[in-house]
Amino acid sequence: MSQNSNRLEIDIGSTYFKIGTNGKTNQYFRDFTTNIYNDVKNKCGEIISKYKKNDIFICSSANGGLSTLIIGISSLFSIKYATNIAFNSGINIIDTLLYSKIDEAIPPKEIIDVVIIAGGIERVKSKFDNRLLEYLKEVKYSNIVYVGNGTDREFLKSNIDNLVILENIIDNRLQIREDELKEYLTNLYQNDIVGKEEIKKLYSITSNQIYSTPYIVNRSLPKLRSLYDVADPFLVIDIGGATTDIHYSTDLVVNKNILTSSSYDRLVFKKLGVYKSRESLVFGAKNNEFVYELLDYLMVNENILEEDTLKATTILMQLAIFLVLYQVSKNSNDYISLKLDILNSIVVTGGVSKVLSQDDIDKIVRFFYKKILHFDTIPAIIIDREYKIWTLGMKEVHSV
Amino acid sequence: MRVVTGVVGNDIHVVANRLIEISLKERGFEVFNLGVNTYLEEFIDAVIETDANVLLISSLNGEAEGWSRDLLFLKSRFDLDGVLFVIGGNLSVGEAKEEEIIPKYKAYGYDLVFHQVDLNVGLDIIEDTLKGKR
Ligand code: B12
Repeated sequence: MSQNSNRLEIDIGSTYFKIGTNGKTNQYFRDFTTNIYNDVKNKCGEIISKYKKNDIFICSSANGGLSTLIIGISSLFSIKYATNIAFNSGINIIDTLLYSKIDEAIPPKEIIDVVIIAGGIERVKSKFDNRLLEYLKEVKYSNIVYVGNGTDREFLKSNIDNLVILENIIDNRLQIREDELKEYLTNLYQNDIVGKEEIKKLYSITSNQIYSTPYIVNRSLPKLRSLYDVADPFLVIDIGGATTDIHYSTDLVVNKNILTSSSYDRLVFKKLGVYKSRESLVFGAKNNEFVYELLDYLMVNENILEEDTLKATTILMQLAIFLVLYQVSKNSNDYISLKLDILNSIVVTGGVSKVLSQDDIDKIVRFFYKKILHFDTIPAIIIDREYKIWTLGMKEVHSV
Repeated sequence: MRVVTGVVGNDIHVVANRLIEISLKERGFEVFNLGVNTYLEEFIDAVIETDANVLLISSLNGEAEGWSRDLLFLKSRFDLDGVLFVIGGNLSVGEAKEEEIIPKYKAYGYDLVFHQVDLNVGLDIIEDTLKGKR
């Protein structure tokens, strides 16, 4: 692959960054005493100096993503559709508010990057009233967008400053319509990355646009078969330092009311990282009814969760995989349920792929399938050790 | 007039559902068909999003009874005044007497209950009810 030997690819994460060239990837822990730019320069200045600005490609998930507050009139349509679109646009932090509960709702204290208001098919009687305006007075936000019914458009436009109005995310058959909101949020995310001081400095080493990492990963999925022996439907689990992302074939979605036009959707577990959000991972694990049996199966006891050893990290990563599978299974009625019984392949990438062995992952997936789904067979497991998914995505986006 | 319809619970009997959609459309209703395997929450949420006048739930394998127990609670969370709640199909598992089934489902919060009633007979009654004839 001589074609990409002149490219240098950099991915900035919240706990580590990686640098790839010639199909080889190296990973470095972030030094939090200095800014990202200096850190990258200190550790990799020499290699970076060998490349032209034009041949350096950067993506980042280090900014932690945008925060969103979604206000909708029902959990399973407006809120769910907006949430799905937000995740697919790279947004990580999502809060939701059911409009019928607005009187009791406590406005978020932190500044919200974007408030999304949705509800109703096009022609319905008015769904929003002064209660929304009163509530919004208490919320500090930078952007606000309306993607709901046609009836309320005028009322909201004349009462909310700087309201952006886009097409309704619910069409007249009650199906999701994602294009306009997705484009809007993706751009917002993009501008946010560019606007971050630390990231801005990185433009002194690249002349290419800096994209968000989830966007890059998502772009590689349709071509994943060119890298690995994967069969649709598949699930990509990307466990990082602060969050865990999954990307999945939409064929796996149980609830058919959410038919999106993309074939791969994304979901983020913000409290399931092995470094930055280690505490909440441990907390999540301890609250899972199967965890003690699981630790027993792995032949350790719960004290391991408090240790700071490689063994402990391995166990935590295994737990993270288990929790992810559990939370998207029909056993948990969180945001989305996936048909894990028809899953053909699981691809594991991110920080875990450097630590866990094939056997470690097989073991945990086998436990899940046996214990929760009562299956004797498990999907094929592929470990993306060299971050090829990310490299492929970078190539797709910045195709030469 | 708008109708939200579908088959409740983990019930995959799809034939009646298709027929119901076709029949409703022929009668001039705007239909939002959630299909088989639909949970009660989804029905309620669909009514909220569409301003449906009628919620028409089917159950063929008899599961409806278990699911319907939550109906009053779900109804209490939203303003659903004026929505006609209808259920039909096979409303129990195995044999059951109509005199027992109907009051039971009415107590769950349905306005019209059709246990093993012909579809067109049921739809006539629904239309009459909407017109205020019954
Ligand atoms: C075909 C069929 C299946 C197929 C379904 C294929 C499919 N994807 O649709 C398969 C083989 C998969 C199947 C599976 C099962 N089935 Co089945 N199935 C039938 C069967 C033979 C015909 C159903 C049908 O399509 N009829 C044609 C349609 C047009 O008629 P209909 O469904 O009765 O609907 C009409 C009325 O009910 C009414 N109606 C329906 N909804 C409403 C609503 C309103 C408001 C009104 C007014 C009227 C109305 O109008 C409809 C149109 O005319 C019936 C027996 C029978 N002869 O009815 C059993 C039957 C429905 N099945 C039954 C059972 C028990 C099952 C299983 C649980 C069996 C099992 N143990 O595995 C599973 C359930 C799977 C699941 N998760 O739901 C029982 C239900 C018993 C009960 N409620 O007491 C029945 C009645 C058989 C029996 N006598 O035991 N089944």
